[in-house]
Amino acid sequence: MNCEKSQNLISEYIDGELDAETCAGLKTHFAVCADCAKLHEDFASILNFCDETFFEDSLPPNPQALWCRINNIIETEVKPELAEVEKVQEIKAQPGWLTRLWASQLQFSTSQILTGFFGIALISSLLTVVGVKNFSGAADGLSENDLQPTVFEKVLAKLGVADTPEQRIERQLNERKKAIDYWKKRVEARRVRWDTDTRRTFDRNLNVIEKSVNEYTDILQEDPQDQISNEMLDAALNDKMELLREFSEL
Amino acid sequence: MSWKLNNLISLATYKKATVLILSVVFFFALSASEASAQKKFSKTYPASKNIRLQLTNRTGTITVQGWNRDEVRIEANLDKPIAKIIPKNKSGLIYVNVVQDNQGRDEVGDVNFNIYVPYSSSIDIETRIGNLNVSNVQGGFVRAHITSEGDITLTNIGSSGISAKNVIGDIFYDGLIQPNSKYIFTSTQGNINIRIPLESNFNLVATAPSTRNIDTGPFNNKTMKYFGTGRRLVAKFGDGSADVTATNQQGTISFLRR
Repeated sequence: MNCEKSQNLISEYIDGELDAETCAGLKTHFAVCADCAKLHEDFASILNFCDETFFEDSLPPNPQALWCRINNIIETEVKPELAEVEKVQEIKAQPGWLTRLWASQLQFSTSQILTGFFGIALISSLLTVVGVKNFSGAADGLSENDLQPTVFEKVLAKLGVADTPEQRIERQLNERKKAIDYWKKRVEARRVRWDTDTRRTFDRNLNVIEKSVNEYTDILQEDPQDQISNEMLDAALNDKMELLREFSEL
Repeated sequence: MSWKLNNLISLATYKKATVLILSVVFFFALSASEASAQKKFSKTYPASKNIRLQLTNRTGTITVQGWNRDEVRIEANLDKPIAKIIPKNKSGLIYVNVVQDNQGRDEVGDVNFNIYVPYSSSIDIETRIGNLNVSNVQGGFVRAHITSEGDITLTNIGSSGISAKNVIGDIFYDGLIQPNSKYIFTSTQGNINIRIPLESNFNLVATAPSTRNIDTGPFNNKTMKYFGTGRRLVAKFGDGSADVTATNQQGTISFLRR
């Protein structure tokens, strides 16, 4: 055995981890090599010193009592801090509402699922009905608020894409007035050929219709949203146009 | 002297007699002239039970009555200046349009129609001025429109759709309310009277904005609701399977029990 191999095995030799044959070979080498023998002695004396000093200084006089003191300190001082830390960690670790909802959905019973399904169906139906009603316009005349614009209409009006209800009514009235003016001219051209009775009858009826038109126009100037007056004005203007158109054929 | 006196007396008597005779002749001649100023029109068409009558008149009264025959009879009294009447008999439709047939003429006299139709006929009649009367029909629908003034009288009607409209004049409906049908009564100035069975099933929308005078008579229930400070009444009677809409801009609306 040479010096290098002997020095690598010194630590294991002191710990007693080498087999008998290797130990015999080392002893033979220490006997013939003064440097390696010296290294072995130094190394063995250091380890021996350390072993004796560590155990004497490191071991407490009463380990059980020491653990009790440590435990008390932990419980009185460290535990509240740990509790706060745990609280924060719990808050941070809490799942979001969607996660909780998903987690709770998994616990729904069959009846709850069915109720939810019918609820969704009902809400969808109601929304459809409201949507259809909003977009199909007033038909039954039961609501006082039928002329109120829908949210969709309001948005379009704000964007300038669609007319506001007032603009729409005004536009319709202007269109109607243009048509009425056209038929008035036709009637003026024809009425000179009518007999006296026809002329009187026409004038009398036109006055009655115009009375209605003026009445509803006045009401709508004060309250443009009055649905009944809007309807009646529309009907009266239709009647006026019909009277003019049909008498222009005579 | 006495002879001369006698001659003078007989001459005076003769003159008186002559004047009297001439007056009588003139009177009868005038009467004959007036009689000839009115002309009569009459025509009969074979018809199916579900025939449709469409008649548009200028001025005059139209009276339509249902009868138990499979034919349509049109009778008309025409005042001077005599109007032209050219009825057309298309498949399932009797069509008369006095306005169209006399287009361009300055003056046309009244035409008063008296028409008989099968009970189950549909009636579409209108006039510019004059009354409209329909009775004893139970067909598809009755439409009676007056452009200006005149009364509309619909009696003993069982049709499954009514539209009656005028400007000045009364509207009277006496008949049934059939399920799944629409009944529309519209006037500007006049009274609308609706006489129907108490057990009728219908949704009602009655509007009288000026007078707010809507009298439902014996028709009363908890569904009745007024809107627009009493200008409109909305109600449901029975199962509400029919729709009744009455609008009178300046007049009243009344319901009577049949």
